[in-house]
Amino acid sequence: MKQFLLGCVAVMALGAAASAADAKTYRIGVAMYGLKGEFAQSWVNEAKKHPAIKDGTATLTVFDGNYDQLTQDRQFDEMIAQHYDAIIFDPIDSNAGGALVARAEKAGIPVIGSNGPVKAANEAAYIGSDDVKAGEDEAKAVIDKMGGKGNVVILQGPVGQLGSIQRYEGNQKALAAAPGIHLLEKNTANWSRAEALNLMQNWLTAHPGQINGVIGENDEMALGAIAAMRSQGIDPATVPTAGIDGVHDAMVAVSKGYMVLSIKQDAFTQAQGAVDLALRHIIGDSYKPLSTCWTMYPSMKWDNGEGKLYNVPWTYVTKANVQQFLNK
Amino acid sequence: MRTSSTMPPESVASALPPARRRPDLGQLAREYGIVVALIVIVVALSFMNPYFLTVRNISNIFLQISINGFLATGMTFVMLAGGIDLSVGSVLAAGGIVAAGLVSGDHAYAPWVGILAGLGTGALLGAVNGGLVAYLRVPAFVATLGMLSTARGITEVYSGGMPIPDLADGFVELGQGRLFGITIPVWIYLACIVVAVVITRNTRFGRYVYAVGGNARSAVTSGINTKLVIFTTFVLSGLLAGLAGMILTARTTSGLPQAGIGYELDAIAAVVIGGTSLSGGVGTMVGSLLGALIIGVINNGLDLMGISSFYQHIIKGVIIVGAVLFDANARREQR
Repeated sequence: MKQFLLGCVAVMALGAAASAADAKTYRIGVAMYGLKGEFAQSWVNEAKKHPAIKDGTATLTVFDGNYDQLTQDRQFDEMIAQHYDAIIFDPIDSNAGGALVARAEKAGIPVIGSNGPVKAANEAAYIGSDDVKAGEDEAKAVIDKMGGKGNVVILQGPVGQLGSIQRYEGNQKALAAAPGIHLLEKNTANWSRAEALNLMQNWLTAHPGQINGVIGENDEMALGAIAAMRSQGIDPATVPTAGIDGVHDAMVAVSKGYMVLSIKQDAFTQAQGAVDLALRHIIGDSYKPLSTCWTMYPSMKWDNGEGKLYNVPWTYVTKANVQQFLNK
Repeated sequence: MRTSSTMPPESVASALPPARRRPDLGQLAREYGIVVALIVIVVALSFMNPYFLTVRNISNIFLQISINGFLATGMTFVMLAGGIDLSVGSVLAAGGIVAAGLVSGDHAYAPWVGILAGLGTGALLGAVNGGLVAYLRVPAFVATLGMLSTARGITEVYSGGMPIPDLADGFVELGQGRLFGITIPVWIYLACIVVAVVITRNTRFGRYVYAVGGNARSAVTSGINTKLVIFTTFVLSGLLAGLAGMILTARTTSGLPQAGIGYELDAIAAVVIGGTSLSGGVGTMVGSLLGALIIGVINNGLDLMGISSFYQHIIKGVIIVGAVLFDANARREQR
């Protein structure tokens, strides 16, 4: 027993050493939906590189929601109990997220949304990209390449997850506008390349020679579908495929002509813009943004930090411009 | 208990070994050990973080552990009788989504309809588990592994994979409301613990659960309807998972098809940290409550200190194994 207790104490002490926070600096809490994906990781890395975080004006504490609503619920309570100065919020579920925003606002803590929207919420501001539009545009790219007729399949994200729901909504919009396109199959591959590979193999077996286009709701799944085609001797260049996120392997696939489009999400602007907005809402209108992200897009201006909605444009990566992203 | 008519008279149960009937010294030591561990952790955390011992945070902790607490309570019944229930996370989601579907939108039923349906869904799925294990002799691990997948699928079919928002206010109160300043889920959890303690300590059914888990063969020879006892523990586990699902739904104001993924692990961890033996027959409800508290306090404390969840997973794993190691050592010393 003694050893067990000593173990507990040692573990706790380790924790304490890792979290010495300065009480005088502004404390910003980040409630992320989960940290196990490439985008979430680059979001966090970019946020930590914000000038105000680097020079110690503010500290950033990242909470991993672990894709579980109850975990995120708990983390909001904890940030409120600790009187954080502001919360940056990327929700797991947009309906349930509204209740959390209301709870923080009631405690006088401004909530800045980033990356994922919250329904019916009073967030102080929101900065993110429109997933519905990305879903619509990727589907359009596939449909256009198919000449407006033929059969498509859709690889969906996890059941019930916000990004997946919105991208699918966009997919459906594009399909509704293309009467010559028949939706042959749709199913979830949970954002996973390995799952998409199996799913696509089964579809290719069930519908030999009939799949003319693939809409992947993210790049990983599109890449899985391409791997399935190649394993069955199908040239991926003959089956238009698109994805979202702009991960490295997708850039390579675009350059080889295996993918017609990958839509790149700008983690740098979403993250650093959110930190600037959080500090603006803590400090007031004397605060001037420190990140260079506000010079990135003509359509997205700082607006004295008074805006409610900051729409970060998507970057469309095609064979024409892929080289500049590969060289980075 | 409704099982009592088929049970043998009291005298048979009292013929069972006394260690199965009331906590012996070794067991007291184990429970005491958990209390000490909890106190050490609480004291350490309160020194490390100024917000830890605030009223707001303490009430947060109790609210946070209530969901896992319900699952751990049901799991304790199952594990005391020598089984395991891997399906609680999925059954939780099924109970929550069925209730949400009934109390959502313009044609919502009264909250109590949703509550009864959620509890009924949990109990029904638990009964399927129990039937498979007790009467068709499917190993509990396999039967409930199957249910883990099946109940998740039922949840997804029922909801079409989409969250169910716009729940009736009366239903949301179940998760958000307060009574004497304490949130409703905490009250329900406390009531549930009291009932569970009474069942395990003071009823014939409770003693039979220990007897079946301790030595199923001699329980049969003593005339106990072991199948019915095992069946009932799974129904209780399902019922409590359904209850947890509804409270989670009310708390998050939305029925979530992906709720509860992986919750079986935290529930089993709480029960094991609480000193219940994986082979059945030994353990207490209060131990599981303390186990859930330890997990809740550690999650909360590490969050307060801003420790990455990646490290939290490691720390939690170390503590679970540490607790079981201690448990095994204590039992060896006892012999």
